[in-house]
Amino acid sequence: MNKRRRKFLRNLLIGIAAFVVLVVELYPIGITVLNGFRRDIVILSGRPFELSQLTLRSYALVLKNPSFLLGLKNSIEVGLFATLLSVAIGAMASYGISRYRFRGRNVLAYGFLIFRMLPQISLVIALYLMFKAAHLRDTISGLSLSYVSFNVPYVIWMLLPFFAAIDRSYEEAAMVDGCTPFGIFWKVFLPLAAPGLVVSAVFAFINSWNEFMYALILTGVNAKTAPVAINGLIGGETLTWGQACAAGTIMLVPVFVFTVAMQKFLVRGITAGGVKG
Amino acid sequence: MKKAAVLAILALMTLAVVGAETINVLLWDDPYPKALQQMLPEFEKATGITVNIEMLQPPQVYTKTAVAVGKDSSDYDLVAMDEGNIPIFSSLMTPFSEWPTGKVYPKVDVKSVTPAMLDVGMWEGRLVGLPINGNLYVWMTRKDLIENPQYQKDFKAKYGYALGVPKTYQAMLDMGTFFNDRGIAAGFGPFNGGPAGVLGEAIFMWEGYGTSFIDFKNGKYKVVLDKKKATEGMEFYKKLMKISPKGAETMAHVERQAAFAADPKGVFSMFIWPAQIAAYEDPDKSLVAGKIIYSAPPAGPAKTAAVRGTWALGIPVASKQKQAAAEFAYWWASKDIAERLVEANTVPARTDALTDPRFAASKPWLAAIAESMKYATSRPRLKEIPQIQDVVKKYWIMGITGQMPCASAVDAIVNETNAILAKAGY
Amino acid sequence: MAAPLLFLAPSLVVVFAVLVFPIVFSLVVSGFKWPLSVGAGERAFVGLGNYVDLSRNPEFWNSIKLQLGFIFIAIPIELILGYAAALLLNREFLGARVVRTLLLLPVFFLPIISGMTWRFMLQPRYGPLNALLLTLGAPEITWLSDPTFAYLAVVVQDVWRMWPFMFMLLYAGLTSIPDELIEATVVDGAGFWRRQRSLILPLLTPTILTALLLRIIDALRVFSEVYVMTEGGPGSATLLFSLFANRVAFGYGEVGLASAMAIFLLVLSIVFAATLVRKNMSLDILEEKAGGR
Repeated sequence: MNKRRRKFLRNLLIGIAAFVVLVVELYPIGITVLNGFRRDIVILSGRPFELSQLTLRSYALVLKNPSFLLGLKNSIEVGLFATLLSVAIGAMASYGISRYRFRGRNVLAYGFLIFRMLPQISLVIALYLMFKAAHLRDTISGLSLSYVSFNVPYVIWMLLPFFAAIDRSYEEAAMVDGCTPFGIFWKVFLPLAAPGLVVSAVFAFINSWNEFMYALILTGVNAKTAPVAINGLIGGETLTWGQACAAGTIMLVPVFVFTVAMQKFLVRGITAGGVKG
Repeated sequence: MKKAAVLAILALMTLAVVGAETINVLLWDDPYPKALQQMLPEFEKATGITVNIEMLQPPQVYTKTAVAVGKDSSDYDLVAMDEGNIPIFSSLMTPFSEWPTGKVYPKVDVKSVTPAMLDVGMWEGRLVGLPINGNLYVWMTRKDLIENPQYQKDFKAKYGYALGVPKTYQAMLDMGTFFNDRGIAAGFGPFNGGPAGVLGEAIFMWEGYGTSFIDFKNGKYKVVLDKKKATEGMEFYKKLMKISPKGAETMAHVERQAAFAADPKGVFSMFIWPAQIAAYEDPDKSLVAGKIIYSAPPAGPAKTAAVRGTWALGIPVASKQKQAAAEFAYWWASKDIAERLVEANTVPARTDALTDPRFAASKPWLAAIAESMKYATSRPRLKEIPQIQDVVKKYWIMGITGQMPCASAVDAIVNETNAILAKAGY
Repeated sequence: MAAPLLFLAPSLVVVFAVLVFPIVFSLVVSGFKWPLSVGAGERAFVGLGNYVDLSRNPEFWNSIKLQLGFIFIAIPIELILGYAAALLLNREFLGARVVRTLLLLPVFFLPIISGMTWRFMLQPRYGPLNALLLTLGAPEITWLSDPTFAYLAVVVQDVWRMWPFMFMLLYAGLTSIPDELIEATVVDGAGFWRRQRSLILPLLTPTILTALLLRIIDALRVFSEVYVMTEGGPGSATLLFSLFANRVAFGYGEVGLASAMAIFLLVLSIVFAATLVRKNMSLDILEEKAGGR
């Protein structure tokens, strides 16, 4: 067998293996998506799936639910706002930590990490008191601020390995050209660190999008986010399984869109930056 | 000077109109408040009050109330309090006697609330909350199963008495076993979910066998559980677990509904909170809609016990909108709204709505609720109840699933509850 | 050197300013009996009383044991799966981009919904997993009723949800390794394992270590998905640290005790971090391993 055919076969096998892995991994999500199109009676009866069971009723109910719609809108706002701030602030801090060897660098970096380890439950009551005093309770900006407080350490640490792998020669060249420190950061460094920024933006968004505890306690009727709204559909007392699944499926869409957008947007940065030599 | 005064008065008047009252209300999530929410626009139109309703799952209602309602400030003007939490919040709520009179809706007469439910809002001699739903154990039995002539014949042949709605624990076990052994339906649907619910089942059994759990004597809470009777009760429930569907050890509300209403075989009989009846009678959600007979729970060897679990509305002392909040409560508890809530298959706490003959035929559960109220019993209410519930849940489930002998389980419950009470200073 | 301060100032302001009060609050409150609702009783100073109570509470130690077990079982599995997938998918075959993006869906999944779905899948009678067991001729298992199986289910749920996270990080790290370096080892005749050991693993070490750290700090906070699946049961078989803290703070209303738990965790994390720094995970070393160029 010649080399090309071998390569083709190998890629084919890998493609098949990847597909199998994907199907197994996505099975629970598939179930949730499917159940969003079935009635509660059917879902809980144990009957196997038949095409005739499909219905849009749950989606209709969910999309007419003002509480859920408000939650979606708020979640998108908070998600984007918190992500933007977290990545901006976190990237700067990560750059400062990794590029400048100052004393206390370790203490600072690990300090951020330790703060991130505290469970939300212990922090949320104090945050509530603080926000109430500062009139930030039940506001998008207040909630976003609380999200930034746990996303920044995350972003900092996520970016450290990416930043460390970038050759200093780029910055040295820019410095010779007379760039300001911030200019170097913005124009030279960030484009090189694009893959890391994508990853940290995606996870900052996911963390903000899926967050429940802070949203529950720190918001009321105005800034309520989607997870809080969905919580009512999980039905401790009543059965709205189909709607919960429909809502859960809808929740996947913005994150997916955000991820794809991030990847497309910064793929240009990767090819332009030329980290790969 | 005169102009300034006129302007000032105009400004104040504008403020009075523009700054129309807004109240923040915290309710539990259930078809009942949801049905009320549909009717909300009428209230807002009639009174000019804007109502912001926040609906959460019961444990979260407790959490948010605890965090957000203080002595000097409160994020909410009206909160729904679960029966068990009333001792904790009582000191933060305005006593009903001090609630302002209504401008549009008259202040509710406490006599309109069913006595068995009114008791829920009482703490330390004062009414601190207005009970708003008639929620206590009601029994469901499958009509199609007991009316089946073949089953009637076979049952009578085997057990010697007529098949029907179980009136005693023994009947519940016999009939349940009959259907379970023949694979027709599961015999019983236990509740093994949240701690408060498990305590409810435990109290149901213990009271039925003739013993109370905790009593309040001389200003102190004491465990008064008769260990022998309590063990008998637990042993009996263990037998019921054997005729329950698979996975019954962790059955919570959703799984119970799945077993009773969505499974083609279903369950012969089990208790239900009236608040959930709407879902069981919805043909869209339930295979047995229209096939359920409602009754008071079966009687234990000592007596019949129907465990109560009612919500009451409270107005925090720290609220700045007590007038508007009271208005909302009076509207909610009015006869007109109560009747419409009954029509929506939910259960308010007004006696006149519950006993109105117009609804008797189409809402068969109302008669059952009225009957159950004669035997209403409640779970102990004290500030330490969350810890005690956890203790009971832990050992009750271990006892009824056979992981530990029932007698030891009861011993453990008594010992650990005593420890909790001792630590609390009783 | 004002430059680092310029870059660090915003993060310092946000993180420390927002969190300093809550941490001081936890520290102070941990010395009190502090009920969640002011209506539940008076606040009373108890000094180290909460800490003593915790140390004597078997549920507390149980929750720590369960939590550590969770971390040490789930995270290594997630790492291995993520690494294998990153290697497998680090090439352009038909649909590779699609597969790589779709693989992340579990990480996007709302934790509450994930817990709910897993609870559904594991039910007897109508759960798909038991249906699968039946078709394979095996008996139905009531997963969530058995302490061991319930714990296993909780671990599996986390592995399922988060190994794609490891994959994404490791894949991003892999793509930063220039192709020429990899090809050079192939030309040298190095086999697969040799290549891993001498080239890829060393270059990926900082990414792996960071991924582990990030997963650990998230695993310490795991709550919603487990709560929806089991509520900590059966018994206390899945009562992980956050679930126990939640029960103490919001179930029993004992904020003082819960704060003591938080401070306990804080001290533990400080010790953990200090050990890492001492054991050659200081930033200098990490950067050296990343290529230190």
